[in-house]
Amino acid sequence: MTDIAAMGQTTKDTARFSQGSRMVGLVSRAGLTLAILAVILYGSLANPVFFTAGNFVNVLMSMSIVGIVVVGMTFVLVVGGMADLSVPATIACGAILSLALQPYIGPVPAFAVAVLLAGLTGLVNGVLVGYVGINPIIATLGMGTIVLGIVQAAVGGVIVYGTDPSSADFVKSRILGVPMIAVIFIAIAILGNFVLSRTFWGRWTIATGGNYSAAQASAVPVRAVRAGAFVITAFAAGFSGGLLGLTLQSARPLVGQGYEFSAITAVVVGGVSIMGGFGSIPRAMAGLVFVQLLTNVMVLQGVRTPIQGFVLGLLIAGAVALDIALRKRGVA
Amino acid sequence: MSAFVSTLLRYRVAVILCLTLAAATLIVPGFASLTTLSLGLDRGSTIGLIAIGLTVLLIAGQIDLSVGSVFAVSGIVGIMLQPALGMGWAALAGVLAGTAARVVNGFLVVALRINSLVATLATMLVFRSVAHWMTASQPIPGNDIMFSITLSEIYLEVFTVCSGLFLVSILALHVWLTRTVAGRNLFAVGSNALSAEASGISAGRIMFLSFVFASTLAGVAGVLQSLATNTGSPVYGSELTVAVIAAVVVGGTRLEGGRGSALGTLGGVLTIAALTTAMEFQSVPAYMQQVASGLILILLVVLDRTVRTGRRKPAAAPVHA
Repeated sequence: MTDIAAMGQTTKDTARFSQGSRMVGLVSRAGLTLAILAVILYGSLANPVFFTAGNFVNVLMSMSIVGIVVVGMTFVLVVGGMADLSVPATIACGAILSLALQPYIGPVPAFAVAVLLAGLTGLVNGVLVGYVGINPIIATLGMGTIVLGIVQAAVGGVIVYGTDPSSADFVKSRILGVPMIAVIFIAIAILGNFVLSRTFWGRWTIATGGNYSAAQASAVPVRAVRAGAFVITAFAAGFSGGLLGLTLQSARPLVGQGYEFSAITAVVVGGVSIMGGFGSIPRAMAGLVFVQLLTNVMVLQGVRTPIQGFVLGLLIAGAVALDIALRKRGVA
Repeated sequence: MSAFVSTLLRYRVAVILCLTLAAATLIVPGFASLTTLSLGLDRGSTIGLIAIGLTVLLIAGQIDLSVGSVFAVSGIVGIMLQPALGMGWAALAGVLAGTAARVVNGFLVVALRINSLVATLATMLVFRSVAHWMTASQPIPGNDIMFSITLSEIYLEVFTVCSGLFLVSILALHVWLTRTVAGRNLFAVGSNALSAEASGISAGRIMFLSFVFASTLAGVAGVLQSLATNTGSPVYGSELTVAVIAAVVVGGTRLEGGRGSALGTLGGVLTIAALTTAMEFQSVPAYMQQVASGLILILLVVLDRTVRTGRRKPAAAPVHA
């Protein structure tokens, strides 16, 4: 008797919930687009410089460096790996080594070696997280410290400068008015989107993040998939670091500081769940566009850097709280 | 053989500490002296005070990445308010700033149910920004340079105010964890929050209080450090997080919660302190010290993980909801 009553109760609840969730679902889908439009509108009204081609190219340039990391970080979040905090170290690895090795082996091999070594960091991260089963944040925090220390030791803890101006020219060149860096970034984003949404690896990634045990039972190589996300991120961060180094033509050990938070903020604000199993590259990119435009408006309006960091921190906390609230209502 | 190994693993803190000390004594000439002990204890007490708070948090199954930032903020508040409030009240305000910071963390984790790693990652950024904002990214000097000399005065040839405070706190923590009901409840919550809740322990309240406790101690450490150096700086404590987590983990406290001890943390802190002091004596660059604490952290966590999985069925990937 009571069981049947309880069952009736449950059905009613489900029906009511799914109706409510359609509304919430719409908000969660359209919310970010609206927010981006609102920032653009505010920016255009508040500052005459904002809505100009020059400014947008600037935004695109700074977006590209973070964006390449965001592509990797999306994989980490979707697979349920929470975050890769070794990104500053892998960026520094990419930037410092791709400049420091230039005189010895030439710019292209230097770049390749730098990215490969960064990827190696990711491999260690991946083994620690995927196979040994260490908490990802602790593993990447520790690895980040180690790698940054080693890279600093390798160059003697100083700032390194580029020796090959032609490589800088290549990075700064433009195709049809679009900066080379942005072209590379867009290509990587499209590639990442293809892998995540169209290939078996992407399906495995989402399955592992959604339900680890179920994925394991379905013969998904869960450990390798978890590890793979960190390898992808490290390669992306190393690549982005290399490009950053070539653009700046100088690299100091702390060059990558803050990129991990920018990347995480973008991914989380884009609505990719921090608990894994849900998310896509376009969503993360929308988050990236929003955060970058917001930062740009803040810079143009003369908001001081610490307050910008404050706003970003609040954005992460707010977005994650929203994600959890939405999950409770059955929308993801 | 296996009994020997498991005994070795249980007291691995002591083993690691002895090995570190032995190696340091062999390599660094003049390492084994009272001065070194006093110096090591003094520098250990900064990470030690934070480590005490973190031990409690880890036992409750939570973590806090923002300790370094809270450390900086409290120190700055402690220095900045000196002209207005006088030293004692300013120091108290600094400690309270730490408490307030972690009330924010506790609220995010307990009330909004955000994973503590993510929540404190966000607040780490926020508090660091607050620190930069308050000081305009400049270190600020304190009023009374004489007080910092008082703080670094050595009593009984070994103890300073900081290290004395640290040792007393850690003994108090030991008693609290092993002899009181509240301490036992903490372990219960950390092992299994749901069962603890079912047995009538308010898991949320305990987690919240552990956050407040941890923050207050980070605040105390921050204020003491700032008073000792007579400066408040926004970059203080940025390299502390890894060292503190390493110290606690070396002490055998489990990252997943439910296991840990005060004396283990004491051992861990002493190990890290001995290591950094020895490396400083040998003028090893700061970044190599970072490599060392990172390596220790990773190695110990791997050891912890493999030993446990060796005994039982391999655990599934850690899922934090």
